[in-house]
Amino acid sequence: MSNLLAALRLELFLSRYSLAAKIVLLAPALVCLARFLLVWLNQAGRQARAGLIGDDSFALAQAQNAYGHFVDGMNTGLTILALLLVALAAYDFSSERDIGSIRHVLIRRAGRSSIVLAKLLRLHILGVLSLALLGLAAWGGSAAFWDFGPVVEDGFELIGEDEILYEIHLGLLMAVIPLPAVIAFGLLVSVAAQSATQAVTLALGATLAMDIFKALLGERAWYLYATFHPSLLDQSYLREVSRLVRGFSDVLVEDSFFVFNEWIPAVSVLVFTLAALLVAQRRSL
Amino acid sequence: MRGLRKRYGDVAVLHGVDLELPAAAVFGLVGLNGSGKTTTIECTLGLQGFQEGEVSVLGHSPAELFRLQGDVVAIFDSPSVPPHLTVRQCLEHARLLCPKPRRGCAEVERLLGIESYAKYRIRQLSLGNRRRVSIAQALLGEPRLILLDEPFNGLDAGGVDLVLELISNLNRETGAGFLLSSHQLPYLEKVCSHVAILHQGRIAAAGALSEMLIDSGSRVALHTTDPEEATHLLELEPCVTLLEGHGTERLHLRLEGWRSDELVAFMVDNGIPVCELTRQRASLDNLFRELTAGGDA
Repeated sequence: MSNLLAALRLELFLSRYSLAAKIVLLAPALVCLARFLLVWLNQAGRQARAGLIGDDSFALAQAQNAYGHFVDGMNTGLTILALLLVALAAYDFSSERDIGSIRHVLIRRAGRSSIVLAKLLRLHILGVLSLALLGLAAWGGSAAFWDFGPVVEDGFELIGEDEILYEIHLGLLMAVIPLPAVIAFGLLVSVAAQSATQAVTLALGATLAMDIFKALLGERAWYLYATFHPSLLDQSYLREVSRLVRGFSDVLVEDSFFVFNEWIPAVSVLVFTLAALLVAQRRSL
Repeated sequence: MRGLRKRYGDVAVLHGVDLELPAAAVFGLVGLNGSGKTTTIECTLGLQGFQEGEVSVLGHSPAELFRLQGDVVAIFDSPSVPPHLTVRQCLEHARLLCPKPRRGCAEVERLLGIESYAKYRIRQLSLGNRRRVSIAQALLGEPRLILLDEPFNGLDAGGVDLVLELISNLNRETGAGFLLSSHQLPYLEKVCSHVAILHQGRIAAAGALSEMLIDSGSRVALHTTDPEEATHLLELEPCVTLLEGHGTERLHLRLEGWRSDELVAFMVDNGIPVCELTRQRASLDNLFRELTAGGDA
């Protein structure tokens, strides 16, 4: 345990001075804010046009509800975060092996398993901090540009704020659950690859390939952790929530989807972590 | 280390290496390119697995060296330091590796002459200064055994002198043992108390350097204008071993049981003109060349 803590301290020390770690920390929040700004500018133009032709459609009214934008902002940020985390995890171990700095830790302070677990913990800490910043940016940004409120049509409240908040909470939880699997996958690739370049290419390539193929797999895609986190070709529950909080959709997701969303990423983390530990024990460093 | 055997796929690199490092010795491991020096060091440090044999470092298996909490440190062929850190950050990072730091970062910077680079990033430094940083990292704690793989690569003359002096001082003052792997035989000869010559995956010779040099016999360089006849004659003489220069005007010989004047008398008696005879100092370089049949070190 003391070896693991020592290895974690070393990891956190390196993170303080790592540009890659800073990018993971800040980029999702910044991209989310940039999205808000672009959407707001776009909406301002559309509103001006609607004002001129006297259009006061439901869609236009709902575009002013901050909840929808908050969810979209989180979705965008989580997509970026997942890609950055898999890339950083893939780079982490392999780059230190390329440089040779991991050897000093191995000889002087911690065993191979402790090093792998410390990296896993450090990436999770970075992920949690980035997520917190993203949440703040998404909430603050959407509140700055739009107003939070229930979904209302013709003076009738279609969806109350309590229900909206419940769905957002559920959607975010379901979207965040797969992130540890994303990290563990990246780390496994990092431990197994021959170089940092190979590891990052492989991890990003595999992640994008999963994204493309999950649409073709139907319900079999539920056995893939990548189905459940926001991505470029998004199938996560958060996408449904985005439509729901705008009053555009009833949620038609099967209960079994939630069961898979909870369990498949957890099993994936376990499998990837054990495989990473096994490979790390056997390979030359 | 006993019977260490290592293969990369079908290629056997170490064919049963036996090596014992005396306590507090400065031990040089020398060999030709590809003789297995780095592999031996990496197997010793648990960085690579091996197929057969036993390795124990200060009573621990290679995979558990970290339990010695910094008693064993290593400096590798390439300076293994994160390039995005500054020199000071690098040393602070290395300090976290030492449960019992003995020196401060500023002190080791002064010791290695890199104090003016403290705020430079590692990627901005020359290879020699990067190497100084990696050596500085090793000196933060109080190691009992320091392994250095090609420690003189990239260092200028001043840097080499500094490292040699550091090795001698640390060995004398703290009793730290050293295992040095290098091609720079004259440097090793200056600092090593013991040497092992690794050739084609086996230890060709090992022991105290002073004894090995005495055992290597007396070497002379003979200059003659009749090299063919001289070579033919000397090859038949059991007291003389022809080391280098077969058929050339300058023959390198080892004398066993003969003095130089006895050799000259023998040559003159047999009608071979002797232009010059130079006694050569017994050196690690000569011994190495002899044992590895003239390969480049």
